This record gives sequence, C-alpha cells and structure tokens, in this order.
Amino acid sequence: MDFTFTEDQLLFQESVRDFLRNEVTPERIRASWESDSGREDALWAQLAELGLTGMTVPESSGGLGMSALDFVLLAQECGYVALPEPLVHTALVAVPALCDIGGELAEQWLPRVAAGEAKVVVGLEQNMLVEDAHVADLLLLQRGAALLAATPDQVSLRHNESVDPSRKLYAVDIDAAAAPVVEGEQAQRIVARALDHGALGSAAQALGLAQRMVDMSVQYTAERQQFGVPIGSFQAVKHHMANIAVRLEYARAPVHRAAYAIAHERANAALAVSHAKLAACEAANLAAKNCIQVHGAMGYTWEVDLHIFMKKAWALANTWGDAGYHKARVGERIFADGAVLGAGATF
Amino acid sequence: MKVSFSEEDEHFRTEIAGWLQDNLRGEFEKLRYRGGPGDEHMYPQERQAWEQRLAEGGWTCVGWPQEYGGRACSIEQQVIFFEEYARAGAPGRVGHIGEGLAGPTIIAFGSDEQKAKYLPGIVAGTQLWCQGYSEPGAGSDLANVKTRARFDEARGKWIISGQKVWTSLAHESDYCFLIARTDPDSVAHKGLGFFLVAMDQPGVEVRPIVQITGTSEFNEVFFDEAECDAADIVGAPGDGWKVAMGLLGFERGVSTLGQQMQFQNELDQVVALARENGAAADPVIRQRIAKAHAELKIMRYNAMRMLSGQSGGDGSLQKEALIYKLYWASWHRSLGELAMDVMGPECEILPAAPYELSRLQAMYLFVRADTIYGGTNQIQRNIIAERGLGMPKEPRGNA
Ligand SMILES: Cc1cc2nc3c(=O)[nH]c(=O)nc-3n(C[C@H](O)[C@H](O)[C@H](O)COP(=O)(O)OP(=O)(O)OC[C@H]3O[C@@H](n4cnc5c(N)ncnc54)[C@H](O)[C@@H]3O)c2cc1C
Repeated sequence: MDFTFTEDQLLFQESVRDFLRNEVTPERIRASWESDSGREDALWAQLAELGLTGMTVPESSGGLGMSALDFVLLAQECGYVALPEPLVHTALVAVPALCDIGGELAEQWLPRVAAGEAKVVVGLEQNMLVEDAHVADLLLLQRGAALLAATPDQVSLRHNESVDPSRKLYAVDIDAAAAPVVEGEQAQRIVARALDHGALGSAAQALGLAQRMVDMSVQYTAERQQFGVPIGSFQAVKHHMANIAVRLEYARAPVHRAAYAIAHERANAALAVSHAKLAACEAANLAAKNCIQVHGAMGYTWEVDLHIFMKKAWALANTWGDAGYHKARVGERIFADGAVLGAGATF
Repeated sequence: MKVSFSEEDEHFRTEIAGWLQDNLRGEFEKLRYRGGPGDEHMYPQERQAWEQRLAEGGWTCVGWPQEYGGRACSIEQQVIFFEEYARAGAPGRVGHIGEGLAGPTIIAFGSDEQKAKYLPGIVAGTQLWCQGYSEPGAGSDLANVKTRARFDEARGKWIISGQKVWTSLAHESDYCFLIARTDPDSVAHKGLGFFLVAMDQPGVEVRPIVQITGTSEFNEVFFDEAECDAADIVGAPGDGWKVAMGLLGFERGVSTLGQQMQFQNELDQVVALARENGAAADPVIRQRIAKAHAELKIMRYNAMRMLSGQSGGDGSLQKEALIYKLYWASWHRSLGELAMDVMGPECEILPAAPYELSRLQAMYLFVRADTIYGGTNQIQRNIIAERGLGMPKEPRGNA
C-alpha cells in the first residue's frame, strides 16, 4: 500500500506546472475566447515538445509510454490553469482508445499524435456533443454498438456554445463513407474504457480547478478589508474556505486511486472512477460556490478571473457522466448480486 | 388567524387577471417571463412601456396610500396581485427600485415637496430609480462610505463627489438615492446624509460592469461635483443612516411577495423539465423537488405572517424579518443547483451564441448573487445572532 508518487512523477509535475502557470494565464484564456477556433497551434507545439501529447503513447510509436497514473498529476495542473487545449482528452481518452483499437489505425495515428502533428478526439453518446471536433484530424465516434473512425472530410459539424467559453462542442453528423473500425463487444469495451478515462480526466482537472479557486480566494480575502480588517480574519469566511479544503484534500486520494485502477486495469476500475469523479466534482462545485461567496459582488463579475474556473468546473461535472450517472453506477455495484463488500474488500 | 380570501378579494382577482389577459399581448406578448433575475438586461424600453401601461390601468404601487397615487390595496389584495402577475408570466418590473424602495422611503421620511416632486413619476412608471449605497470600500461595511456631500452656500446646492459601485440599473435610471458623508470629519454611521440625485447631469458618469452571465445589470457610478438641490436631502444632514436603514426594512416588505411568485414559476419550470426529460423518475431528484416545494410554502406563509403583523408583542415578528433574507437567498441558490441536476448533461449547452443562457442557466448563475447583495448570508447570520438572539457582538477591528 503506497499512495505516494515517485520522485520522477513529482519532478515532471513540477516542470509542467511551471510551464503551464507561466504560459496559460487568464489573459491568454480570455484572448482565446475571442479567437475563432479558441485553440493555438503554437501552444500545442510547445506541449508536444514537452512530450505531453505523447505521454501515454507507447514508446514503440514515438511516445513516452506512460500510464494514466503518470498523467493524473499533470491533468490536475491542466485544471489549475483551466487549459483550453485538449491535452487531457488526448492523453487520457484519445490515445488509450487508439491503443485499444490497435492495428493499422493506431500505427498510423499514434506517432503523429505524439509528435503534435495530429489531434484525435473521441465522441461518446453519453456526452451528446464532441469536444474539439473542429480541430481534430481524426474523430473516433460511437454510433450505437460500433466505433467509427472519420476524417474531417467525412463529417459535418454544428457548433454549440458551452457555459465555459473555452469549451468547443460539436454535434457531428457522419457521412456514410466512414466505416466502423470495431463493433460488438470489443467496441462496447472500448467505449466503456473511454468513458472511464474521460471521467478520470475530468476528476483530476476538477481537483486543479478547486485548488485554483481556493488559492485565489485565500489571497483575495487576505487583501480585501471591511470593518477595518481583512475579511479573511472573519470566522465565517475562514470556515467557507476550510470546508472546501476538507473536501478537496479528501478527494485527492480517490482520484489517485482511480488512476491506479485504470493504469493497472483492475476489475473495479469503473467503480473507482465513479467514486473519484463524484468526490472531485463535489469539491470543485463547493469551491465555486464558496469562493464566489467570499469574493462578494466581485465574484459575480466577468472581469474577475474566478468565473473562468467556476464555469469549467460546472461543465466538467456534467460531462463523461454527471453526478446522477456516477452515483447510480456506484449504487449498482454495491447492490449487485454477489458484490464483494466489507472488510478485506476495501481496495 | 384566517387563511382564506373574501368574496371581495376574489372579485379583485378576476379584475387583475382579466386586465393582464387583455393587456399582456400584442407588443407586450414577447415580454412574458422576461426580465427576471439574470435577464434584467432584456427589453428595457419595452418593459418601461409596459410599466406605463400598468400605470394607466392603475396597477403600479398598488399597496401605496391613495393620496400618493396608490391603490391602497389590503395585504390580501397585494398577495393576489402578485400571484396573478406571476401566473400571467408578466415581465420583471423595471420600476421596482422606485416602487419598492425609493417611494416608500420618501413617503416615510420625505418632505411634502419631495413627495410632490418624485412620487407621481414612480406611480406613472416614467421615472426609474437606482440605489447608491455600496462603494469600493463599503460593501458589508456599509457605514464606511466615503462619498462626500458639501453644501455650497453660493449655489444653494449640495455638491456630491465620490464613487458608487454595483449600482443596479443605474444606466436606465433617472434618479439615484444615495448616502454620502455630510460631515467630512465623521466616521461610521454618523455624519451621513440621504440624497435624491438626478442622474442626467454632467457630474454623473455611469460605467457598466459585466456580470458572470455575460450581461450587465449593475454599474460603477462616478459623482464628480454632481449637484443636488438643497431640498433633495431626505431628513437632516446626519440622518442618512437612519433613513437608509428604514429603507432596508422596505426591502423585506411586500415586494417579497412578488419575488416568491417568481420563485414558484421557476420551481414549476424545474418540475416540468423533470417530467419531460425523465429526471422525475430519480428518487433523489423527487425528494429534492419536494423539499424545495415545502420550503417555498414555508417562505410564503411566513411572509404573510410577517406582513399581517399578527405574531403578537413577543418580538418574534421582528425576528422573522431578520430571518427572511437568509432563508430565501439560500433556498434560491439551492434551486439553481437542483435545476442544473435536473437538466443533467444538457446544462452545459447554451441555446445560442455568443453567450446566450437559457432561463435556468441564467438563474443558476444569478442565484450566486442572491446570497451577496442586500446583506450577505454571513452578515445576515451575524444580525440574527446579535440582534435577534442578543448574542455578544463580533470583534469589528478598530474602525
Ligand atoms: C447582483 C448585485 C446587485 C447589486 N445591486 C446593488 C445596488 O443596486 N446598489 C447598491 O448599493 N449595492 C448593490 N449591490 C452590492 C451589494 O449590496 C454588496 O455586494 C454587498 O453588500 C456585499 O458587499 P461586497 O460585495 O463589497 O462584499 P464584502 O463586504 O467585501 O464581503 C466579501 C465576503 O466577506 C464576508 N464578510 C464581510 N464582512 C463580514 C463579517 N463582519 N463577518 C463575516 N463575514 C463577512 C461577506 O459575507 C462576503 O462573503 C449589488 C450586488 C450584487 C451582487
């Protein structure tokens, strides 16, 4: 039993953290809201150069061959800066799905993803809309019991706005030309794994988002004075922050545990992921609520950066399975015939 | 105690319902269900025209005494008015700050001259008001206002300089009631005056502030040597705090009834959606809806109890008044969360570009402000504990 990360994992997290915090500033995010695609090729190239787009790509295909467990800390950092680029989607959803599909398709696309030359996105029916379809070079789309691979010329896209202006969502219509790449049970398995990977990515980002909102609010409440003292000195304000800290700290372990279960393909991975997503998104929602509250009217403005993070947390809580979906999933496992519960089945 | 309406009241109901049916159509049809929380930026001109239509029918300021142009409706009739108004889906009132706050304050504390000058415009729906209390340094600590009012003997006018912030609807308003320091050496709630200031003058600049909804309902307002007639101070210099606090009492008055009806409309919409998209089959959602329903009824009964003033001389009435803001604001914030959970994955998707929110999405964001304006939840709890329960006061720093 060891919940700590290796020195390598922590060092990598630190260098990625430095990079993201320097580069992906709130100003840059706001600028991306004004641009057509909302995405920056130059930034993507930098992420590729750091090895991030190829993190989870096997070494044989030009990647670093790392696992979801290696990536989970980085996904937290992506959340902390509310990164608009689909890095978490790439490393935690698209690449694993390509690996699962295997064969020629994987051989053809994985090296290009690792090199930052191509973007691949996955669209599941659970999500209704497809993230970042407008910048994808390949779309892996669930249609009932089949998974199709389509290139941009084979689809037509309809843009939908998200409550998070950074998220780009599309309804995708496929022309008949796109053929299924996997069907039946195998497709179902890949779809189920993709959903778990997506949910894990959202959970990890939610931790980062919550941490960011906490950091901003701790700073703001130390600076803002009312009644001649910093508002952070009022017990009511402190308790708002402490309540988040409790939820947030305790949400980390389930997220890391879920990353482990996914990386090691444990049988209970789905259960661990649902638990992680619930805990992390609850923490992020509480952070959003309490942090706006301690900001007073400032927290209700577009100009203060808080809403950048609040809205991403709002969106992520409802994709890759919303709270109702994941609670139902946990419930089903607990009440399943022959479910192994109790002492000895803690992990 | 009596919780039913008389025959006369029911006649009144038929009258207002019929009037709304006859008038909320044609050019006003599109205003149905618009202009509510998070949607205040919509159709300002049309809603002011609607305000004037209401006035023509005698349906503004229905609770005011007749001598001031009101309809002198009983509490029961006001309840009915707000019920029918909400049932018809009639739009958010652009005149609510004048009718609910400025007017009652002028009636209670103003001079005859002020009454004659300002009340008719409020009743007619032709003059809109905004509330200039908050400043960058004076939010929860409202008594910390720094805006100054100096009497210029030569001009015979008050000269006002300073900055207000978060001023709702200032960009639409003809007048602002504000508190400013008449005694430059004073601190806290001493030495303040309460002024009625025209917005359309060179010394007043309004800058909109964009809200998290992407729209703008509140503003920064800069006063740079703005003028205010000598006759337009309410009460004497130094009385500002007393008048301002009296006004906050009106904020918890009859206008809350209208608000509850609007809450009912929102809850109905959540219920309808839950039926439609199947969320109603989820027992957790059902229970949360049932809880929201019960709590809204609690609010309703207590508002009527508060307004009917029948809770005796034991001081409990006063406590209810203190409790109300915290209760409704917290309830409304939870309703926003419930609405999003009922929407499910769709709650992320906007109806239209560039940033047009659906009614429920706008509500979810707006309710974040409910627990902040008009005294934050934390300040409300302090008031309940300190004034309601008589507990020792919090340390307040050195100010
Ligand atoms: C949508 C909206 C519309 C508004 N419209 C108007 C308007 O028309 N006119 C107007 O004058 N104002 C208006 N306001 C301003 C509103 O009244 C203030 O926002 C409110 O009084 C809180 O002040 P603040 O925003 O400066 O927050 P702050 O006072 O800075 O409070 C920040 C946080 O500190 C907490 N806090 C502060 N003091 C204490 C304490 N002693 N104990 C415990 N906790 C404390 C607060 O609860 C809050 O969580 C509006 C605000 C909003 C959001």
